[in-house]
Amino acid sequence: MAVWRRRASSLLVYILLVVVTVIMLYPFWLMGQMSFRSLPQYYLGKGLSLTTWHDLFKALPVGHELLNSTLITLCSILVILAVSTTGGYALGKLQYRLSGVVFLIVMSAMMVPMQSMIIPEYINLARLGFINHYYGAIAVYSALGAPFATFLMTTYYRRLPEDVIEAALIDGLGYAKVFVRIMLPLAVPAIATVAVLQFIQIWDDLLVGLLFLQTPAHRTITVGLETIPAQHFQDFPMEMAGSLVSALPAVVVYLVFQRYLVRGLTMGMSK
Amino acid sequence: MTLHEAAARLPRGRRRATRSPLAAQRRRMGILFTLPVAALIGSLLLIPIGQTFYYSFTNWDGFTSQWIGFAAYRHLFQNPEFTTVLENNAVMVLAIPVAIALPLAVAFLLNTHLRGWRFFRSVFFLPTAVSWVVIAFVARRFFDPDQQGILRQLLDHTGLGFWHPDLLAHEHSALIAVMITFIWSVFGTNMIIFLAGMSTIDQEIYDAAKVDGAGSFTVMVRITFPLLKRFVQFAFIISLITAFSALFSLIIVMTNGGPGYGSTTLEFFIYEQAFTENNFGVGATAGVVLFLLVFAVSMVQLRVLRSDD
Repeated sequence: MAVWRRRASSLLVYILLVVVTVIMLYPFWLMGQMSFRSLPQYYLGKGLSLTTWHDLFKALPVGHELLNSTLITLCSILVILAVSTTGGYALGKLQYRLSGVVFLIVMSAMMVPMQSMIIPEYINLARLGFINHYYGAIAVYSALGAPFATFLMTTYYRRLPEDVIEAALIDGLGYAKVFVRIMLPLAVPAIATVAVLQFIQIWDDLLVGLLFLQTPAHRTITVGLETIPAQHFQDFPMEMAGSLVSALPAVVVYLVFQRYLVRGLTMGMSK
Repeated sequence: MTLHEAAARLPRGRRRATRSPLAAQRRRMGILFTLPVAALIGSLLLIPIGQTFYYSFTNWDGFTSQWIGFAAYRHLFQNPEFTTVLENNAVMVLAIPVAIALPLAVAFLLNTHLRGWRFFRSVFFLPTAVSWVVIAFVARRFFDPDQQGILRQLLDHTGLGFWHPDLLAHEHSALIAVMITFIWSVFGTNMIIFLAGMSTIDQEIYDAAKVDGAGSFTVMVRITFPLLKRFVQFAFIISLITAFSALFSLIIVMTNGGPGYGSTTLEFFIYEQAFTENNFGVGATAGVVLFLLVFAVSMVQLRVLRSDD
């Protein structure tokens, strides 16, 4: 009896998990299925066609937008990594008199919601002529990503034992060389975490792109996707095809580097 | 030799160490290495948020501004549209218990490490990688009241075909559609938080409970949930901050804040006031309100995380 009851309950658990799986994966199936239908086929509810994909590449400079997204995302990640590894090393290992205060400021900056600072940010950068240039968007994305990345790097460096540095100093290395030769290589897991988190965040962002990259030539894929309804009213298959193209790179990054993403989330929690 | 001596002394006797050349180098490098991040955050985050505070007391139009003091806040809070917006934010909070309970239950199932749990974990966490714009497009197809709408087809196939709700078309239901979509997309994040929490619980506690004859339900209620309190609080706060400050892209594509102000939350109101209505001052005032809300919630989070250390 007990065996049967256990089997029945484990079957129930699997049925539940499969239902959740369907709910979570359904959007991807929907995007795939609908993108291979023309608009009339969509209303008919059946059929297969490449018309939508053909139209999508005619309507949007997909390749160019993907390139823009890649360029902006990678450059922003590089800036974020540059400032957060150095900053994290300074705040986590080279503590000086005001480093505690600086760390508190970094943490407060983490709590600033984007919408609360985006209006003056936009006006300031517009005055400087940063709108519709890659570097404007890169600057904003870097600033938005830097606080959490620095927080992560600082807590990571703090956990590394002090004697690693001391041994290197005794060997005659200066603090700058300790950073390049020892601290950076040791931080590779944390660097990967920051890079993956930021990739997904920046790739998927709309607001910054919408404000700071208004010309079609500079638009990211996410911004391009958002313009589909305005250009092709109620062309739902095209919306789905565009969605699929824009979602794919981030999904691939997710699938490959999943564990770093999980770690980033749980690292944000511990202290 | 002095360099080595100073290095050896570093952790101890701080006063003596600060005078040594190595300690001086350490301080210099510390400040130097802090400069890039300080400059970036200072110029592109802290100055703008300071400006938001300043302009929140003015009638800024993007070019000129006049100081009007607290009248700006009075005007904002007397604006009936703003009251609706605040109510919408309050309603959004109601989605959070659901956004916690569902992933908590599923995390509990996965934590038994039944066969294939890694696969399920990956799949449930997948929406984290998808942008709000994509989610919004799919959600529109889901709530579409036409023949092709997914929800409608679902209802038709389950014998509920007499009921065809059109959530997105009505002022009082559009926000519900946004909330359902929100719950779907934060499911994975919260589940990962709970799984991480459950992995910190010592297996011995479970074994001891089993020896004492506790059933799996008792274990869940008496052991797992109390030990997870900190993680539930963390998930609550993260979800709240997401609901208040990360749904702009979802709302602009899914409902554009409408119908009326039906699904305009505070963050969307700020964007709308500044960038479609050119009321930069009102946007800044609302921006301060959002900032204070999120900051207060974050402070609670810090206390929560600190208290159990």
